[in-house]
Amino acid sequence: MAAVENIDGRSRFGWAVADGDRSARARLAILILVVALAATFLFSLTAGASDASIRSVIADWLGLGELSARDRIIIYDIRLPRTILGVLIGSALAVSGATMQGLFRNPLADPGIVGVSSGAGLGAIIIIVLGGSFAAPVVSLLGIYALPIAAFLGGLATTMLLYRVATRRGQTSIATMLLAGIALGALAGAFSGVMVYIANDQQLRDLTFWGLGSLAGATWTKIAAAGPIIAAALIAGPFLARGLNALALGEASARHLGIPVQLFKNISIVTVAAATGAAVAVSGGIGFVGIVVPHLLRLLIGPDHRFLLPAAGLLGASLLLLADVVSRTIVAPAELPIGIVTAAVGAPFFLWILLRRRGILDL
Amino acid sequence: MSIEAKNVSVSLGGNRIVHSASLVARPGQVTAICGPNGSGKTTLLKAVSGDLAYTGEVYMNGRDLAAMRPWEAASIRGVLPQATSLSFPFTVREIVALGLMSGRSGVLAGEERRLPERALAAVDLEGFSGRFYQELSGGEQQRVQLARVLCQMWAPVLSGEPRYLFLDEPVSSLDIKHQLIIMRIARDFARRGGGVIAILHDLNLTAMFADQVVLMHKGRIAAAGTPADVLNDDLIERVFDCALRVGALPAGNIPFILPQSAA
Repeated sequence: MAAVENIDGRSRFGWAVADGDRSARARLAILILVVALAATFLFSLTAGASDASIRSVIADWLGLGELSARDRIIIYDIRLPRTILGVLIGSALAVSGATMQGLFRNPLADPGIVGVSSGAGLGAIIIIVLGGSFAAPVVSLLGIYALPIAAFLGGLATTMLLYRVATRRGQTSIATMLLAGIALGALAGAFSGVMVYIANDQQLRDLTFWGLGSLAGATWTKIAAAGPIIAAALIAGPFLARGLNALALGEASARHLGIPVQLFKNISIVTVAAATGAAVAVSGGIGFVGIVVPHLLRLLIGPDHRFLLPAAGLLGASLLLLADVVSRTIVAPAELPIGIVTAAVGAPFFLWILLRRRGILDL
Repeated sequence: MSIEAKNVSVSLGGNRIVHSASLVARPGQVTAICGPNGSGKTTLLKAVSGDLAYTGEVYMNGRDLAAMRPWEAASIRGVLPQATSLSFPFTVREIVALGLMSGRSGVLAGEERRLPERALAAVDLEGFSGRFYQELSGGEQQRVQLARVLCQMWAPVLSGEPRYLFLDEPVSSLDIKHQLIIMRIARDFARRGGGVIAILHDLNLTAMFADQVVLMHKGRIAAAGTPADVLNDDLIERVFDCALRVGALPAGNIPFILPQSAA
């Protein structure tokens, strides 16, 4: 117990405050994250191959200055939808990661790592490849929503299977969850492989770029397709927070505190699948946002989901916008798929968590 | 007004763990459930808490448990499990404050903010608010959880209705001083009009604090009554399969220390 508290209150679990109530700090952090997201949003609008400055964009909004027609097109037709999509995807990935970790009582649960994204991807690939043939009636019925709904269903099926396999009597085995995730990911990958095998050349090109994960090709149509689903999932977050906090004590204790556990778990699973599915459908496999963001925030403001979920949404959006700026400037005028950027940063981070808390697997 | 189990039976994995057990735990009393390992104590308590499927009937203050919603049950009883491990770095105060979630602690809204600190002081953990739960010892963690349950059930009687603490081995990992502190909290809760059901292994503490003892043996209730009635040589020997003499002093000058001797 001697090594528990260092002088500055930093322990291996994060920063505490003397009276143990971190809500004031969490509120401040959320305020700062709001400002940070606003700043990143402007930065994302103005960073890139064209040199329209932040100043000229704001001046244009205020009706003071004039943007050139070329800059106007770049900003309003290319960068604005791309930035808004980045905000939606970043917050969806981070919030679904935090929700899933709370649901599984497990800081390593992340839709990308445990196969939920692969399941969602399979749903999306089926629509991309078979949309013109077998799945044509579905596509004509659902229109632009066919892709996100198919991804949602793929993600939902994977999450439910994973929960059934990894959880017994309310206890989730971390090892079983990770291994089951590998198996489910491989299975979804196998079926996706079949789809790729029968895809034509144009579809193959689409699939490759989509699979690497990218915000390129963001359009108002994509925002209209994924936006409502992601927004609904994000709005569900605050209603899940209390239950996720109670669930940290275990299912029985959560029930003793008055939480209708079964209903609550079902809503959480649907929320995770919806946010992940919609994100995967429009932007492909962008990994590690869902694990890095909640983990950092737990160190900073603690695991109380009433604050963790909104903070994760804000930080996830900011970080994804920054990653997107990197992806389109680092090899400009070409661009790197954003999934490569998040994986290059996120995977070492994941290893760092494992190194720092090896005991986590023995839970 | 009581907790009443009528012919409750529980089967787990095809084995019948509890055979038609009936008990009544009245407000104003500490009811101790005693018995050897594997006699069905925890299983019975879990059935009464609504955690396990059971046959028979359970009534909480006259209402059928099977028909109660989780939040309704949460306003009548709080449950302390044997042990609780966490996978996220909550502080002690954050854990204790979870007890306020059901919104029926029984204190005025303005006082609720300070309730976690009062509950921690009650279990002798003053000054632990800012510590991380995962870094505490097992006995300290158990007392933090009790503080959380006390936050949920701060008032033993609310709106004229008695409320209950279900405690599964509340003193199992505690030193003697804290065993006494926790048992006094339970007795005090009962004296103020609430009810307590506690699974206890220590027969001396049971004799000292229980108003009613329920002795379980192989999934059945072997006896129920006052400590003076139940804790006798014959029953103890039969139930625990161990020849013990109630009230016998050790031979020679071997020291023995009873909780009853505490000042």
